[in-house]
Amino acid sequence: MLNVSPRTRAYETLPGLNPLGIPAVAPLPSGESPDTARIVERFGTALLAAGLHNGQQVVYVAPGQLVALAEFVRQDPQLCYEALIDVSAVDRSELPVSDQRFHTVYQLRSYARKQHLTVVCPLADSGRPSVPSLAGVFAGATWPEREVWDLMGIRFTGHPDPRRILMPESWPNHPLQKQVPVGGEEVPFTLTWSDPEFESFGKQVLAAESKPPVLPPGMNRENMIINMGPHHPSTHGVLRLVVELDGETVVNVDPDLGYLHSGFEKTGENKRYKDFVYYTDRMDYLSAMSNNMGYCLTVEKLLGIAVPARGQVLRVLMAELQRLASHLFWLSTHVLDVSGTGMALLMYATRERERILDLFEMACGARLTVGYMRVGGVSRDLPPAFLGHLDAFLRAMAERIDDYERMLTNGPLWEERLRGVGHISREQAINLGLTGPMLRGSGVDWDLRRDAPYGGYEQYDFKVPVFSEGDSYARYLLRMEEMRQSLRIIRQAVDRLPDGPFRVEDRKITPPPRAELDISMEALIHHFKLMTEGFQAPPGMVYHGIESSKGELGFFVYSDGSAKPYRLHVRGPSFNNLFAISNMSKGAMLSDIVTNIGSIDIVLGEVDR
Amino acid sequence: MDWLNLIVIPVVRSLVLIFVLLTGFAYLTWYERKLLARFHVRYGPNRAGPKGLLQPVADAVKAIFKEEIIPGHVDKVVYLLAPALALAPALLIWAVIPLGKDFPAVADVPIGFLWILAVAGIESYGVILAGWSSNNNYSLLGALRSSAQMISYELPLGLFLISILLLAGDFSLVNLAEAPRQWWEWIWLWIMFPLFFICVLAETNRSPFDLPETENELIAGFQTEYGGIKFALFFMAEYINMITTSAIMATLFFGGYALPFGIGSEILPWLGPFILFGKVVVLLFLFIWVRASIGRPRYDQLMHFSWKTLLPISLAYMVITALLTVFFKP
Repeated sequence: MLNVSPRTRAYETLPGLNPLGIPAVAPLPSGESPDTARIVERFGTALLAAGLHNGQQVVYVAPGQLVALAEFVRQDPQLCYEALIDVSAVDRSELPVSDQRFHTVYQLRSYARKQHLTVVCPLADSGRPSVPSLAGVFAGATWPEREVWDLMGIRFTGHPDPRRILMPESWPNHPLQKQVPVGGEEVPFTLTWSDPEFESFGKQVLAAESKPPVLPPGMNRENMIINMGPHHPSTHGVLRLVVELDGETVVNVDPDLGYLHSGFEKTGENKRYKDFVYYTDRMDYLSAMSNNMGYCLTVEKLLGIAVPARGQVLRVLMAELQRLASHLFWLSTHVLDVSGTGMALLMYATRERERILDLFEMACGARLTVGYMRVGGVSRDLPPAFLGHLDAFLRAMAERIDDYERMLTNGPLWEERLRGVGHISREQAINLGLTGPMLRGSGVDWDLRRDAPYGGYEQYDFKVPVFSEGDSYARYLLRMEEMRQSLRIIRQAVDRLPDGPFRVEDRKITPPPRAELDISMEALIHHFKLMTEGFQAPPGMVYHGIESSKGELGFFVYSDGSAKPYRLHVRGPSFNNLFAISNMSKGAMLSDIVTNIGSIDIVLGEVDR
Repeated sequence: MDWLNLIVIPVVRSLVLIFVLLTGFAYLTWYERKLLARFHVRYGPNRAGPKGLLQPVADAVKAIFKEEIIPGHVDKVVYLLAPALALAPALLIWAVIPLGKDFPAVADVPIGFLWILAVAGIESYGVILAGWSSNNNYSLLGALRSSAQMISYELPLGLFLISILLLAGDFSLVNLAEAPRQWWEWIWLWIMFPLFFICVLAETNRSPFDLPETENELIAGFQTEYGGIKFALFFMAEYINMITTSAIMATLFFGGYALPFGIGSEILPWLGPFILFGKVVVLLFLFIWVRASIGRPRYDQLMHFSWKTLLPISLAYMVITALLTVFFKP
């Protein structure tokens, strides 16, 4: 069993320096919307609560009614919530409540009606918390539910594949439960070896037992089983695929995740709101700006603050540059996967991405893990030379995209390799809970930037490309077009860049400028309070999704009124999109698996989080 | 003095030839890396020696002094035999290639043409045995792909070669290089060159037909379990094959060691090898250019292309060549 350091460190509870805040429970939803009214009309008193909370439609339902509710909201023509976007859970054992320790939280989406619904299901207390699985209603629930079981220890009855997903099968606990320590061995600050501080030293390391490989369910040893990854040239990191092959034809694929699991969610619960921004960089490390933006917007929604106009435009500018960079890197790795290392386009697309990273370096000093945005705005204003360099880049970039298309779209073999490979129908895409280019490539016209605008996107004029073919070629064309549209948005952002503050002037949320510290005592106090305590968010829960380059990047925050999120859940688009790999690859050739991984566009930092 | 002519001179010639070829291989890697770097807007090797010219030496030293690792699960004899078996045919072919007027590399064999076909047939055994003996799924897949691919592309290649034979009417490569051709014969030959080149790419496992070792799917295909100098031998075989096939193509399609219109052939006969060298360098450029700009087909597409496109074309080409030869050749 693990023996690790205590969760709350001594210095954090020093009186006066850092009050933890009074833990409170998120208030129940109040009021009603047409959708919640419709659900109340159908289920009546079987619902625990329904209404609006932080501007979102929330329904509380008992586990017994959960499946019925899911089927109802999915099939009812007035509701038609077609897709399950996310499943998460909250362990409430440290809140001032005595019952219903676990809540599972579901995010549902109606693409046709542009509506979002949060369903909360409080579980009855017992030694083995369990809830009916929604995988029968929404296939997309399969992996998120496995994740909740793995990390939170909630069983899903009737789940088709009840294995752990991120942690090893032999892991002794469910890490997101509150009684499990955050880990991280304490460094003994002592000079004598006999000090009791050393007693727990080195105990955290688990014994490295060698275990024979377990054949994933449904596979047959009569065929050839090959192990792609975790160290394989084209699994984009440490993804492991167990592939069952009949000749060159793929019979079965079973992804094995978790090699890069770094417990971001657990870390988030132990960091102040303002300190978690830098951790988001490391999730989808190819679009750090988007991650920053998604997290900051979520916390701002919880705090109820609005970012000044210049800050908003800067965020959009950076997020779109990041989308461009991410797509460029996707293009170069996709070409590498499909066409081999010799192909020159690999370096061409990387060269353009380098220029974007140079721009990031100008703006914030970092290239990859930028940490540029802050709750309340961005960390600093643009340097004077930035816009000139950006303009030069934009002018060059438009032609470069045409060059790529000349090399690939018009070139030999590229279309043949992608056309018809990794096909996903519209119904499948929705049912599997796919988002981003995977969804739009299958003919669903949905883009959060346009359909649920955030950060001022409603002021920009851009097209959302949609392709109905649903194959890798459609997704390729779609991403190329998205790059062009991103260029358009960046140009508009440059044109409209207003003067004024780039972040909220509220000293409780953003630090005062450095110069002020030397002359103002008040500024110094604010600075000190903010750096040591952070700011506290009102109790409540909030889910906010943004359109990152790979799909819907969602953050779910449950606040207990303290300076740290009580529960922080990340809905990584790569994770949910990767679920489609076995659907896409069955019956295809071995080479197509590689094409499909590239076409899904995963980043393992985000898949495993 | 028969023994001198029969043994000593050929042995000396072979040794010189092997030395030249191995050096050629070493600098072909440099040439490819530099060229690819240019295509990729990079610099390529530039640390070891001026312009990175000593890079091949450094690579060779590294490969030779690497620890010899033989994985426990391999079939040892075959595993060790395979790299040698891959390299030997690549060198053997050179025996019959004419380097200058009346100056074959080792011997002017009257059936030089058949020699090429026969030895090229052995080449694939190295790859197949390597994949088989490695006892690794990726290697096995690479070997299977290799055998299927070599068989598929040897057919159209052979048919194209037969067409050339029909035109020239001689099996000796020396005579072939010097065969007087009419203008329509040249054009007819050059029409076939792109297709022939595709077959050669597939035969030499070069990109875009490097499916036996596709690093993206099969890690390194048949050579996954090889390291150090054993890997270098496969590498050597592939690159010497490139040089060899370039020399053959230069001989068959572009007059080999001779300049066009017979310029200088009487005055400077010793220029032959250098002219051949120049043509080989240009053809090698073609190999690398293709690698940098054309993506890879999928395995089934590769097979379809061979059986459904190349084979019918090569058959038709052979028939037409035969008719042309009968009716128009004096």
